[in-house]
This record gives sequence, structure tokens and C-alpha cells, in this order.
Amino acid sequence: MDLATLFETLTAAWPLLWSGLQTTLYVTVVSLVAAMVIGILTCLMNLSSIRPLRGVAKFYIWLIRGTPMLVQAFYIYFAMPQLLQATVAPGFRIDVVTASIATLILNAGAYTSEIFRGAVQSVDKGQMEASRSLGVGKAKTMQKIILPQAVRICLPSLVNQCIITLKDSTIMYAIGLPEIMNQAKVYVGRTMDSFATYTWVAVIFLVITSVLMLASSALEKRMRA
Amino acid sequence: MDKNEIKIHVAGLKKSFGDNHVLRGIDIDIHAGEVVCVIGPSGSGKSTFLRCLNRLEEATAGEITIDGESITGKKADVDKIRQHVGMVFQQFNLFPHYTVKQNVMFAPVELKLKSKEEAEAKAHQLLERVGLADKIDAKPRSLSGGQQQRVAIARALAMDPDIMLFDEPTSALDPEMVGEVLDVMRELAEQGMTMVVVTHEMGFAREVADRVIFVDEGVIQEQGTPAEVMGNPQNPRTKSFLSKVL
Repeated sequence: MDLATLFETLTAAWPLLWSGLQTTLYVTVVSLVAAMVIGILTCLMNLSSIRPLRGVAKFYIWLIRGTPMLVQAFYIYFAMPQLLQATVAPGFRIDVVTASIATLILNAGAYTSEIFRGAVQSVDKGQMEASRSLGVGKAKTMQKIILPQAVRICLPSLVNQCIITLKDSTIMYAIGLPEIMNQAKVYVGRTMDSFATYTWVAVIFLVITSVLMLASSALEKRMRA
Repeated sequence: MDKNEIKIHVAGLKKSFGDNHVLRGIDIDIHAGEVVCVIGPSGSGKSTFLRCLNRLEEATAGEITIDGESITGKKADVDKIRQHVGMVFQQFNLFPHYTVKQNVMFAPVELKLKSKEEAEAKAHQLLERVGLADKIDAKPRSLSGGQQQRVAIARALAMDPDIMLFDEPTSALDPEMVGEVLDVMRELAEQGMTMVVVTHEMGFAREVADRVIFVDEGVIQEQGTPAEVMGNPQNPRTKSFLSKVL
């Protein structure tokens, strides 16, 4: 096995790998954007003084953190449609891309929610008191004083969550999403060239995650300055 | 200003944290323009007393009225009352993501009490008054402790309060910066601001206070003019405390 054969594999496998990579990036980006929204919402629910809201948020996070993502994916793609078809929606169908995105959103949403909660709670208590002592209400203080500081604190963790979700998207291989790992498997099935193919898959992930890590440390440096 | 007008009325104030009875019954009336210094050993409840006055701590029992309006009642509009009761904290608590000017303008603009232009003009004027006109666009973390505390005073004054609460405003400062903060407070007192100051600065209390109250074990043990309380204390606890700090 020499370098030349490695590059030959890359050229030959690229059409499949590239289509898989596009799917991987698409489900990752869509899921992350939605997960940020869900994360902020459930974080605010979790910190709210209204008990039922707290309960819903805590239940959601408990459920997601306590089950493997593979089980969640199977549940959303196979188990839930069966239940819906047998009960309220006989014609219910879900395609694999939607199911994958839904799983990743639910999963990343729960973890970003906890990231936001940690950040909000790490903002000094005196900030809330100072703003409230001026007669500014709780919601306004949250929006103008606490959240801007919390976002700065949790930016590195959010980038880290992006890396995790990107890597987690390969789990959707198991329900048949044509993401990069799936396409690599197809190529290996045709050629038996597993070493070179999976090496390239790993390298592609390393390139993307390295860029994200660099961005994260640059952000961190800028915030400390 | 009517010197007999009662600005703060406190009756039977009690505060417990679980089994820890921090305040065991405080009664006091504070009049317009009066400067009251609260002294006492640490853990005596003096900061808790101050924080009850604007309901940063919820009273367990008793009643507090500010300008005749109850702040302890269930229906009290706490935000409304706080708008004219300024507070200065030991740790300054400036907003680190805002500049000095934005810190001072924040509340009046957010609460729509002043237009941006009015609030800005007021911020300039207040920062001039506390001697920090040149720091107007600086971020808090580039300032010394004394400067930060003076910004915090300006931020509280931006709401045009008629009562100011100070919670150990110089305790977190290096010794050489205590003077500049006390000077600003002294000037405020001279201009007739009603002030309640929890402090360890006995010199300031002696010189500026109209009344000194000595709090220990959650009750007011002794009160009177600085000369009475600090010059000729009657209560053995006051004597013992003063002998340690003077």
C-alpha cells in the first residue's frame, strides 16, 4: 500500500464520498441551527419560575440524555411511525432525512440546553441584582444583561457541540441515511478497498473538525482579550 | 425638603434563612435627607437589613414602606419602588459587556424614562460629577476598583433616586481608593440625599452620619448620633465592637 494507491482510491471514491459528505453537512447544519433555538427555549423553560415549564424541559433533557442516540433514531424512524399509523394517523410516513434531522435536533437541543443553562448560571448573581435594583424587570434583565454574557461564556462549548453533532450524524448510517459513512460502505462493497476508503473518511472528518477547533480557540482568545 | 417626612419605615422586620434567624425584629424610621450608617460585626445581619429595604431579600415577617408605599406586601410593585431607591454594592456589579456610559444609561433608557439623548447628557453630567468624564467610553474591567465603584454610584444616580442604599461600598477596595469613593458619598450627603450606608469606615460614619445604628444578633442594639454611639456607647456589645475596630 503506497501513497499513490491512497490517492487513486480518493479519486475513484470521491463522487460517492462527496455526495455522502453533502448529506452529512446538510443534516448537521440544519440540525444545529434548530437545536440552538430549542436549546435556548428549553433552557429558559428550565430556569423559569413556572413549575410545569420547568417540568417539561427537565423531562425532555432526562429522556434524551438517558437514552442512546441509536435507540432514539430507531424510535423516530421505525417505532413512532408504527404507533402513529396504528392510532391517529394511518397514512403517516417519515423519510430518512427528516428522521435523521429530527433525531439530531432532539439530541443536540438537549445538550445545548444544558450548555446554555450552565452559562446563564455562571454569570455572577450580582449582575441580576444590580439590574433589578435599578427597577429593570426580570425578563429585560435576562435579555440585555444575562444572556449576552452567557453566550460569550458558552461559545467554546457550542463549537464543541457542533463537532459532536457532526460526528454523531454518522450514527444515522444505521437507519440508512446516505451520509458519508454509508456511501463509503457502498464503495468498499464494490471494491473491497476498506483501508484506503475509511482512511479518507477519517481524514475528511479531521479536516472539518480541525477547522472548527481552530475557530473555537480563536474565539476564546478574542473573548479573553 | 421636609425633614420630618418619613422616607423609610420599618416595623418588626424579621428574616430567616432556614433555621438561621438573621434579623430578629428591626424597627426604624428614616427621615428625608437623613444619613444613617449601619455598623456591626460581620454576620450581624446589617447587609441583610439593607437588602430587605429594596426587597433583594424577601422579609420573613414585618413591614417596610418606602415613601408610604409597602414594599413587603404581596401586591407591591417592586420594580416601580426600586426605580427611586438606588443601590451600590460591595462588588460594584458593573455590566462588563457595556462601556461606562452604557452602564449609566442602561436603566433610564430601557425603562423608557429618558430618551437616548437625555440619558446620554445625564450620563456625561453624572460621570463629570464623580470625576470620570475621561473614562466614559472605557470598559469596566479597565478601571480600578475605586473608579468602578464611582461608576456604580453614577449608574444608580441616573435613575434620579431620592434614597440611596450602600452595601459596604468600600470593603472590596484597596486602601488608597477608599477616599475617592467616600468623597463622592460625602458630597451626596451634603446635597441632601437620604442615605443608608452599611460600612466599616468608622471615620466616615463619625463625620457624615446623622445617625449611627449598631446592629448585632439581628437587632438594633444601640442608636444615636455618632457622638453618642461612638463617643459614649452604653451597650456592652457596642463597647466591645468599637474597641476592636477603632
